[in-house]
Amino acid sequence: MSENTNANKDYAVIGKSVPRIDGREKVTGAAKYTGDLSFPNMLYGKILTSPYAHARIISIDTVEAEKLPGVKAVITHKDVPTLKYGISPARWDENIFCIDKVRFVGDKVAAVACIDEKTCYEAMKLIKVEYEVLPAALDFLTAMDEGQPQVHDEYPNNINTEIHQEFGDVEQAFKDAHYVRTDRFLGQRTYHSPIEPHSAISMWQDGKLTIYSSTQSPHYFQHYIAREFDMKMGDVRVLKTYVGGGFGGKLEPTGLEFAGAVLARITGRPVKMFYDRHEMFAHNRGRHAQYMEITTGVDKDGKILGCHANFKMDGGAYTSLGIASAYYAGALLPLTYEFDNYKFDMFRVYTNLPACGAQRGHGAPQPKYAFECHLDEIAKDLGIDPIEIRIRNARRPNTVTPNEFGVNSCEIKSCLEMARDMSGWVEKKGKLPKGRGIGVATGSFVSGAGYPIYRTNLPHAAAMIKVAEDGTAATLYTGAVDIGQGSDTVLSQMAAEAMGFVYEQMKIVAADTETTPHDFGAYASRQTLMSGAAVKQAGEEIKAQLLDMAAVILQRDPSDLEVKAGVIYSRTDSSVTLSFADAAKEFFVRRGPLVGKGSYAPPKLGGKFKGAAVGTSPAYSFCAQISEVQIDEETGVIDVLDVWDVHDCGMVINPGLLHGQVHGALYMGLGESIWEQVLFDKNGKLVNGNLGEYRLPTALDMPRVHSGLIDSYEPAGPWGVKEVGEGSTNPTMGCFANAIYDAMGVRINSLPLTYEKVWKALKEKRELEQKQNK
Amino acid sequence: MYLPDFDYYAPQNLEEACSLLTHLGSKAKVLSGGTDLMVKMKHGVISCEVLVSLKELNELKEINYHQGKGVVVGARATHNDLVNSIILNEKYLSISEAAHHMASNQIRNIGTVGGNIVNAVPSADLPPILIALGATLTLVGPEGERTIPLEEFFTGPGRSVLAQNEIVTFITIPNQPTTGSNYIKFGLRRSGALAVIGVASAVTMEGNIIKDARIALGAVAPVPMRAKEAEAILIGKEYTDDLLEQAGVAASKECSPISDIRGSVEYRRDMVRVFTKRSLKAAITKGHSGEHLETAHSNNI
Repeated sequence: MSENTNANKDYAVIGKSVPRIDGREKVTGAAKYTGDLSFPNMLYGKILTSPYAHARIISIDTVEAEKLPGVKAVITHKDVPTLKYGISPARWDENIFCIDKVRFVGDKVAAVACIDEKTCYEAMKLIKVEYEVLPAALDFLTAMDEGQPQVHDEYPNNINTEIHQEFGDVEQAFKDAHYVRTDRFLGQRTYHSPIEPHSAISMWQDGKLTIYSSTQSPHYFQHYIAREFDMKMGDVRVLKTYVGGGFGGKLEPTGLEFAGAVLARITGRPVKMFYDRHEMFAHNRGRHAQYMEITTGVDKDGKILGCHANFKMDGGAYTSLGIASAYYAGALLPLTYEFDNYKFDMFRVYTNLPACGAQRGHGAPQPKYAFECHLDEIAKDLGIDPIEIRIRNARRPNTVTPNEFGVNSCEIKSCLEMARDMSGWVEKKGKLPKGRGIGVATGSFVSGAGYPIYRTNLPHAAAMIKVAEDGTAATLYTGAVDIGQGSDTVLSQMAAEAMGFVYEQMKIVAADTETTPHDFGAYASRQTLMSGAAVKQAGEEIKAQLLDMAAVILQRDPSDLEVKAGVIYSRTDSSVTLSFADAAKEFFVRRGPLVGKGSYAPPKLGGKFKGAAVGTSPAYSFCAQISEVQIDEETGVIDVLDVWDVHDCGMVINPGLLHGQVHGALYMGLGESIWEQVLFDKNGKLVNGNLGEYRLPTALDMPRVHSGLIDSYEPAGPWGVKEVGEGSTNPTMGCFANAIYDAMGVRINSLPLTYEKVWKALKEKRELEQKQNK
Repeated sequence: MYLPDFDYYAPQNLEEACSLLTHLGSKAKVLSGGTDLMVKMKHGVISCEVLVSLKELNELKEINYHQGKGVVVGARATHNDLVNSIILNEKYLSISEAAHHMASNQIRNIGTVGGNIVNAVPSADLPPILIALGATLTLVGPEGERTIPLEEFFTGPGRSVLAQNEIVTFITIPNQPTTGSNYIKFGLRRSGALAVIGVASAVTMEGNIIKDARIALGAVAPVPMRAKEAEAILIGKEYTDDLLEQAGVAASKECSPISDIRGSVEYRRDMVRVFTKRSLKAAITKGHSGEHLETAHSNNI
């Protein structure tokens, strides 16, 4: 256990599963999402996209569309800036509309704004685009070969990103090793599938552009929209109402914002745009498919001496956040286990398919799946129990990874031990009936990225709290973005705790670039730690001012006073009390607005090598997951029965929301393990861009979930917090894959582990056994 | 995706409905639950100018038992009407259970048995169990009424013998000597999945002897098909697990599935083998109500 534990700390607001601050609005249906909003005179806009995976645009004729009654604007590349954009600064490679050629089925070609939605569809049918169809690069494993179609002329051999890193001496480690093993795995394309489709409403007033968007980061939207239109950031306002899930897919502005802004400017009217479910799949930015070759050398006890990760990933037609995905794929691998020698090679390859980007866990979950399966194979070869080999290699607190990430708190060993005990591993492993299996995996993730996506010296988070003039309520202003994970609730709890106030009287204004202080937004599992640190500072500033006022009123020394849960009291005389509200009201009367502010920037982190920034973080969460599955050997049907998750995420602000994140992560991980895969036909057209055939698990598919916590304290986080949102997806695919392997006795080295793949592998195994018996 | 404009009629009786369809011709479609039709219209797969809704024809919603005839199910009965029907629960729980495993609860509240049949989708869940139980269809057109075996209704994917101006009104499950029936839908998740394959069986047992057996397969041919070679293996024989395996093998050989994103030919054939024997075993040992004990997923709800 950590030395500085929270177990006995007496907190009034944090550490409690208070109801969500937006719960009532959401469950009653009162909550308005961007798509629900309407403005006077509002037009509807839609984007016409490419029907071909790769084609040259010969001509675009919009004359007929423009003539259609109800059509207010038709735009193509001629009507918009030609400046290339993207979210990763090193590779801006997208245009608002394609100029010379289209690069995937769904690439943006033109857009319309009309008096209603129906007219949009009719107008799009009237736009005549002449294409010269080109051969397409659809397979990322061959797209780098000579003679393959080039997706972008500027990137020979379709190489979007190339990474070669080595720490220590891997070759020597393999020479010294008792055993060296290589395994190869293939991950699949998956899509975030948030419930709420992307939508944006753009409008102009006196040269200022306002966009309501379903966004994970108003800040990055504001930054990149201002850049694209050569505007001052102060003249661009991006805000959101409620967001129905993001998972990485709503971190970058899309055609909805870029085309919508232009359509709104031309027509002088607000323009609402949205993607339908199929268009969401076509826009994508979901998980990259990765090919993963891993070689590891261990000593006779299974201690890892060195590891070489040799990966390729399918980037699709554009970069999106893919450079970071590529770096993350290797950067986070040495976190859960301690070893000194590590080599990472990666090619991110362009293909004529929808662009891939960040999806919950970013580039890390598939490599972690591969590594956890690989480690199980090593354990089996050496005759070591899978949990034992993980405990032997488990990272210790206050250590540094080979790629120079400093780890403070780390209870991975305790996570493994607790998960082992909760699941009954010892009684079950190797003793389960035929068709039943149990598997384990570990994971770890950043609690916020050490560096922002583009180079800037802005602090990562800022917050402001204003106490109501009569002292009965307080409003937190934060740029942090609640996309369903519950950050509005957690940050309000933190504000109340820091101020000595009550959660029930907290109000929040969040995620609006104009009214709230800057924050980078909801990605890289950053808000509890980073936004929380800014909120804590703001709350403490309120508290100090309030106690100073109370000292005057009560005629006592401020250091004798404390405030908690809305009551100011003396540390030495229990008869002396004053309500928070009375003191706050008096403050306003005598001294003006009671306002507190805070900001947070992480310390300088990481090494000096190329790509050293990716994966740095002030703190890392750790967890272990164990699952038990039942396989029908005749059909390949997999029933996941139970999952045990034990997390070290530091101090937990809201246990209910934390367990919710774990449930959600297991749900997504289950889908990616067994069912989900975005599929294309031989022409690069989506074949399952809908929720009928892109099979997310249903409630009936969910296993029993047992979510446990290790008491821990992270010195880098406010009150000792760390992340949970993304790290909880990190072990999941490996955990299910290992349980499925344990049940089958034969390893399938690709995701998803569909029933048919299981059936086929078991059939081949039986046939092989029959042959050997003859 | 946008639902195009259309005219809407809700005739008060069947006669009016048929005359409307005759009058409007191919630009009209019949609207029952609309769970397939609306989606196809939104996607532009079907374009029609007029929808003729059966909404006012309340007699088509009823599920009744007629002495001497059998169970008569109105074509507008929803899937959840089948799930909740006391008559079906008592006589052919297998039908209620087949309906229960369809789609999602929201769709089961709206989608109808008539629509599930008329759509003629090879993977539809209700036709196999209804065919296994020898169901007949009543079709009403301007010329009057005709009755045909459901098995003879389908002519290909999306195609049937239904004339443009005819309406399916009732499905009749005749009184019969069968002692057990069962349908297993094999989908790739527990809910909201189309059948990779479906197997229905109905058996007449005398002690351990299989006097008669009917097997109907879904999603493995252009239309729901009887597995007659498998049936022939069973009829007159004493029930053993080995016999059921033989029947499963025969069924897997006589079906003609295709490969698609839900499964390959090889997988579908082998699943026909597995689920034919499981379905038969349930029908033999559990009567008309065994499906919930013998499903694709071990802990299905």
